[in-house]
Amino acid sequence: MNLSNSPDTNAAIVQNRADESSVLAREAGVPFQPSFNSASGIDPIVEWLSLMEVVQMLCPVWPVRDKPMQGSHWRL
Amino acid sequence: MSNLAEQIREALAMFARNGTEPALIGGLAVVAHQVVRATKDVDFLVEAEAADKVHNALLDLGYQCLYRSEDAANYVRAAEGLDLLYAHRPLARRLLAQALERATPMGRMRIISVEGLIGFKLQGFVNDPTRTRDLDDIRALLKIHRSSLDMDELREYFALFKRPELLNELIE
Repeated sequence: MNLSNSPDTNAAIVQNRADESSVLAREAGVPFQPSFNSASGIDPIVEWLSLMEVVQMLCPVWPVRDKPMQGSHWRL
Repeated sequence: MSNLAEQIREALAMFARNGTEPALIGGLAVVAHQVVRATKDVDFLVEAEAADKVHNALLDLGYQCLYRSEDAANYVRAAEGLDLLYAHRPLARRLLAQALERATPMGRMRIISVEGLIGFKLQGFVNDPTRTRDLDDIRALLKIHRSSLDMDELREYFALFKRPELLNELIE
């Protein structure tokens, strides 16, 4: 049975794709920059601490540097 | 408070005890300038004259020194890392002097300007072209702060590293 021939099913698929698109645009997968300016009242460092709480739960062992900085272009 | 926040708070207290006022640089400074991403990079720009006493203080705190030169040093303590860049050239000294203090959950700390941060990110990328994260950070900072950036200062940094065309590429 080919569901894609059903007009109702096609409409549902189109609707679902629109929903997925809006979720992705809001939450993940595509560039998204919340406003952290002073007017927003959101402190980016507080947001980062919240993010890192979750990251460290998911990834308790975070790789640390095992080799020194490299390069010879120190001009600043 | 998380281990990471506690590590930063401890480092800030150590700097204060030693009478030096570093500026936050690196990934956490990127966060402070509104590009929130996961990072455990704890990087500070420190006056070169304080290098020895900060080195000894970090060893006292249990850090191991992986590397140290006149330009930079890397320290690790178990799963924690801490990197220092030393301000001994005029540009870095100016950036350190101009860093603005901000209240954070870990205490008050000085944070490098967006322009200076982009300069240091560029230096990191030129030193190690595999660090494409630096380019991503620069691109994000340019996008968010484009309207308020001192473009002449930025052009100065990109010219210093002989990459003047890269600035235009990253803005596009």
